[in-house]
Amino acid sequence: MKWFKRSASEQPSTLEEMVIDLKQSIDFVSYENKASEQPYRLIYFATLIDPEQLHRDVLPVIKDCKKKSLEELKGLIPIENIEISSKLPLIQERLLEGYVAIQLSRGSSALLVNISLRKSRDLSAPEIEFSVMGPKEGLIEDLNTNLNLIRRRIPHPRLRMKEITIGSITKTKVVVAFIEGVASEQNINTVMQRLEDLDFDVIMDSAFIGQMLEDNSKSVFPQMIDTERTDRITGHLNYGAFVVLTEGSSNALIGPINFGQLLVSFEDYYLGWNLASFFRVIRMVAILLSIIATPLYVAVLTYHYELFPSKLLATLISSRSDIPFAPVIEVLFLEVTIDLLREAGARMPSKVGQTLGIVGGIVIGTAAVEASLTSNILLILVALSALASFTTPVYRMTNTIRFLRYPLIVFAQLLGLIGVAFFGLFVLIHLLRLTSFGSPYLAPLYPPRVKDWYDSFFRMPYVMHNNRPQFFRGHNQKRFNDKKNHQKRMVDFDEQ
Amino acid sequence: MEKDKQYSLLISPFLIMFVIHSNQIGVGILGFPRYIEAFAGNDSWIVVLITGTVFHVFIWMMYRILSEGNFDIVDLNNKWFGKWIGSILNCALMLYLLLGATVILRTFIEVIQAWMFPELATWIPAAIYLLLTYYVLAGGFRTVTGICFFGVIIPIWLAFTAASPAKLSSFSNLLPIMDHSLMDFVSGTKQMTLSFLGAEILLLAYPFIKKPKNSRIWAHMGVGLTTILYTMVMIVSLAFYSSGQLQQSIWSTLIAWKVVELPFVERFEYIGITFWCFVIFPNICLNIWGASRVGKKVLHIKQKYFVLILITIVFTVCILMTNRDQIDYLNTLASKIGFYFYYIYLPFIFLYSSIWRRVKKRI
Repeated sequence: MKWFKRSASEQPSTLEEMVIDLKQSIDFVSYENKASEQPYRLIYFATLIDPEQLHRDVLPVIKDCKKKSLEELKGLIPIENIEISSKLPLIQERLLEGYVAIQLSRGSSALLVNISLRKSRDLSAPEIEFSVMGPKEGLIEDLNTNLNLIRRRIPHPRLRMKEITIGSITKTKVVVAFIEGVASEQNINTVMQRLEDLDFDVIMDSAFIGQMLEDNSKSVFPQMIDTERTDRITGHLNYGAFVVLTEGSSNALIGPINFGQLLVSFEDYYLGWNLASFFRVIRMVAILLSIIATPLYVAVLTYHYELFPSKLLATLISSRSDIPFAPVIEVLFLEVTIDLLREAGARMPSKVGQTLGIVGGIVIGTAAVEASLTSNILLILVALSALASFTTPVYRMTNTIRFLRYPLIVFAQLLGLIGVAFFGLFVLIHLLRLTSFGSPYLAPLYPPRVKDWYDSFFRMPYVMHNNRPQFFRGHNQKRFNDKKNHQKRMVDFDEQ
Repeated sequence: MEKDKQYSLLISPFLIMFVIHSNQIGVGILGFPRYIEAFAGNDSWIVVLITGTVFHVFIWMMYRILSEGNFDIVDLNNKWFGKWIGSILNCALMLYLLLGATVILRTFIEVIQAWMFPELATWIPAAIYLLLTYYVLAGGFRTVTGICFFGVIIPIWLAFTAASPAKLSSFSNLLPIMDHSLMDFVSGTKQMTLSFLGAEILLLAYPFIKKPKNSRIWAHMGVGLTTILYTMVMIVSLAFYSSGQLQQSIWSTLIAWKVVELPFVERFEYIGITFWCFVIFPNICLNIWGASRVGKKVLHIKQKYFVLILITIVFTVCILMTNRDQIDYLNTLASKIGFYFYYIYLPFIFLYSSIWRRVKKRI
């Protein structure tokens, strides 16, 4: 086998060696034209460049050029950022980015012109974080398009974007965006430092970076929000957060975050404050219910059935009378079934998935009850809690909630209600200790920062949003002058 | 003496309210009315108020003792009484805190065993609680304070359940007011002191407060909140039970919970005990935290390892206590030591510190 002529560590020492080396790929082109009036040579990867641009903007200029220097040529080609270099690593890097190297004579220096071809899909509405109201503009895999979307939403001179390249093989571009003077310098320094310290070979998606940036990588709780919504990015940037965007990923990462922000749907800001607050509270109740409903069923039916009034107990007993299993087996069976449906639904092609998911759910559910494998009360509980777990606006949080249920069921089986309380304590301590880029995870609840409460459990009217949350520890806390918005229309009732 | 602790590791002044309050409320509130009623009868609620007032004085004393510099009681003991006597005092303090943690943990496990799981082995909840304690302490004092905060916030709604027994009570039980002798009040107050123990954590937590001088009002509010809760429970217990009934109920508050009626819950005390897990936990954390702080400073052992030794000791003592008499004995012992701590040691170092400062000023 002679596929590899040299080991990866051996670097070519001259341009010619490099050309011979790269020629092993079929898409590499080194074209020499000696017949024309002006001899020249083009080196490029055919799969990376835009041939149209090459023919329209570059080749005619070379043909017309009667002078024999790269410097002159540089002035004539109507493309920006042209470099002349004789550094071999730089030339190779540029070639791999879609540049064409032009030489007028054999030698070491070359003219590098960027005619790279970028193919990406069109913008589309966010699919994971869908909302009925509000803008339907989602990020896509192309970094430049994403930056353009953000810059268009915040045409502010202090919106800074810092670039860093990560990944020894993928050479992925990562951009940290923040508003200078609003975001805390300490946070920016922390994230830049952590990004610089990253040493990894392939970065496929922003999720790679997200997991490596987290304060506590053992935690199941997300310490950054990944979002594809540009309005969410804008909102967080304005609060003083930073956003990490990755080439090739349609998700941006927001940090620092706190637990409360994971429960915020951006639609909350498009509804009236009272409605939004109501739905936010419903969401919190749903999440709590989703985690503890089935563990409570296990705890109460295994140990504390006398907790129920006799009428309710009679209903429960009659529905469970034919079931041969202990409550915990029954619950685990159904919970695993639901997770199975969810996993299968996520992997199946969308057209098959929908029908099969519904049919599977109904058929399995009804059949399980009819076959006396589960009680119908439990079926209601499990379906409700599965539904409730999807009310979380951040997808990663949904997974956390679904996961938390299982250890809780085990604890409920071992120690009943006390076990549930113990596991609750454990999660509470974990959340208390958790930080996101050094900011406490449970803020503004603990440490209590009453000033931040205008946008935590409830979303208060915009008049009260005149200060940025203290959570982000930025310098510029003031958002707007609240006096102007306070003017109230006078009616005869207010007269003195 | 670590004067400059990192600012980010300190707590806001008002959180000391939760620290003190959560350390005072423990397992005692589930059964204390019986003991007080034995002395002061229908005037027991006045005893609670008197004890509350006395503890406000104690808090005032503590702030006077700690007023100079940023020291805790361990540093001050060493400074005032020299290395040897100081260390003996500090070790005594450490043992007292450890005893406090053991008493509260074992008594609560007894409640669980008596009401929910008669067959449950003591070591299981003890081990879980102590492992969780280690997890909290490893997060630093801010995490301990967080647990205190949630230990007050999460179960606070249980206070409203007092309305249920109150509906079935006859408040004329409280009359006639003030028909007991002074001695009855004094012995009642002495007995009530056990329920108020816990405020002494301030002596150790003081250096962890940002702007500690501003925290005074919050410390008083913590004790005030405790007094209000105890008075409420006391009044409801006196009105709900007759004197003879109360004397026969070991866990009178738990029994009173039985009358709470919700559409889907019959025996409310199960829910009460479940939530009480959150009330008990800060007590254990704070006591072991305090003991480990003392151990760290006196014995120069890293807190990391010393906490492990402490929780092993607490665990061993807990599983050695097997019956009601032994637990009662521990409770009485803790109550006696606590009594001496507050009525002899605290006034003594209060006077000592005032004199010491005055003498120092003159020189």
